[in-house]
Amino acid sequence: MEFVSKIFALAIGAIFVQNFVLMRFLGLCPYIGVSKKVDSALGMGMAVIFVMTMASTITWVLQTYLLVPLKIEFLQTIAFILTIASLVQLVEMIIQKLAPALYKALGVFLPLITTNCAVLGVAILNINEKFSFIESILYGLFAGVGFTLVLVLMAGIREKLDKAEIPESMKGMPIAMVVAGCMALAFLGFSGLKL
Amino acid sequence: MTLIKEFTKGFIKENPVFVMALGLCPTLAVTTSVQNAIGMGLAATFVLVCSNLIISLIKNFIPNKIRIPCYIVVIASFVTIVDMVMEAYVPSLHKNLGLFIPLIVVNCIILGRAEAFAGKNNLIRSFLDGLGMGLGFTLALIIIGGIREILGVGQFFGYNVFPATYKPILAAILAPGAFLIMGVLMGLLNLMKKR
Amino acid sequence: MKYYLTLGFVLLVITVISSGILAYINSFTQPIINENQRIAKEKARMEVMPDAVSFDSLGSFNDETIFTAVDESGNIIGYTFMASLYGYSSHVKTMVGVTTDLKLNRIKIIEQKETPGLGANCVKPEFQELFIEKYEHELLVDKDGGKITSLTGATITTRTIANSIRNGINYLDQLISFQTDTEVLNPDAEVENDSN
Repeated sequence: MEFVSKIFALAIGAIFVQNFVLMRFLGLCPYIGVSKKVDSALGMGMAVIFVMTMASTITWVLQTYLLVPLKIEFLQTIAFILTIASLVQLVEMIIQKLAPALYKALGVFLPLITTNCAVLGVAILNINEKFSFIESILYGLFAGVGFTLVLVLMAGIREKLDKAEIPESMKGMPIAMVVAGCMALAFLGFSGLKL
Repeated sequence: MTLIKEFTKGFIKENPVFVMALGLCPTLAVTTSVQNAIGMGLAATFVLVCSNLIISLIKNFIPNKIRIPCYIVVIASFVTIVDMVMEAYVPSLHKNLGLFIPLIVVNCIILGRAEAFAGKNNLIRSFLDGLGMGLGFTLALIIIGGIREILGVGQFFGYNVFPATYKPILAAILAPGAFLIMGVLMGLLNLMKKR
Repeated sequence: MKYYLTLGFVLLVITVISSGILAYINSFTQPIINENQRIAKEKARMEVMPDAVSFDSLGSFNDETIFTAVDESGNIIGYTFMASLYGYSSHVKTMVGVTTDLKLNRIKIIEQKETPGLGANCVKPEFQELFIEKYEHELLVDKDGGKITSLTGATITTRTIANSIRNGINYLDQLISFQTDTEVLNPDAEVENDSN
């Protein structure tokens, strides 16, 4: 029972309280860049959830069984980013072979994920927070879910924004930032939530 | 003449943050004070200049197919150097910037400049481009950091700028304020460009 | 095939060179980092127990050593330990000095990343002075019936710090009484054993 409540706290923490995009400022480039249409936002979100979970798993193993025993923790950044880059490449190839339909939906987003700082961010956070193996996997998963949630919400708002009357100079990026600010204000309400 | 242009284009005309909207994550995350902004800006500038130099030097030896992984390794190495040196000599700043130092690796500005400029241009041009872009990034961080520190704490660079009766607008240094200020700044810049 | 081997080889060479350079730089910076951390902790201990001249390790709490503070004439005048709990958005670590009757001497917040302008105000001296000369049972936020005035808009941070210190004092209390007990049982036992 305690395990379940711990998982629940981890989920609420990663999705709402410390939302990766709105509270930790991770993954802003895709958040602003790929949030014009709900469909593509959902596709990007799914790809990110997948890669973040995989990356959390692999980097945790790498850190615990290779970097720490060999006392080469200083190579963490290089090792993690190379892992993520190859992981993304691998995932791309596998999906392309096994599930062409899925590849069609996600394909264009996959290369973008390597430079999504939320992925490297979650890998490093897992280590900094001293999470266990299971916690790391789940944290990666939940962080991805939190990312997808705000990405899709944002896309929904921006689809409506297209029809709204906005001063010429605020169109596009600036108004997206203001909307993000309002969303962050709403998410601020979750902070301090103790579970 | 063109060399000077290579240097100064990053300040305003092609400012990586305001115009190209790259590297948003650190821009919003660490700008709670001018001091952090300068620290982050200079760290990124160092990485940008060094990686531009090295990549421009070795570009002829790298097969085209694996250029991105090679660039990433070069960038990650310089990031790790910055990380270690900062932790040794400016530990308090290192603590403030925290996660965002290793995340310089995935800062789109750096990989973007490597791919778009250093991989195609000679040493001097790559150096000037890196320095200009880095300082442009630093400038943007200082502007945002300055506004947030003045509004949110009532200080600039740690010195009080308002009489003691000033009640700071806390929201400015919290997450929503970062987004809002960024959005308004981008809008103002668009407005100025049109005039 | 040969082409792919070349690709792998180039990437390998670059990675090996970078790792070598990093290992070299790391061999310089790592000792400095360790030394910095050691000095920072030592300074913090001196700050919370200004009358002490030396510190002996007594046990460990939160993966940090508990020290007894000894004054010039060799008397034990108190203890220091590191209190740590997760606050609002970060781990808040506090160096705590207590006298021998477990009354707080001084505290110093060592590490926090709470909300700037709210929880982060816990590093201000005015706040840390609230803890001076308080006993364990007084270490509650005023809302909870204690003597610690909460920081504006940051009750959670305040409560975290108070709780972490209370935990530490309780642990220390047990540790001391346990050691005194064993001392009575076998008079030859060493009191100041290094259990860390």
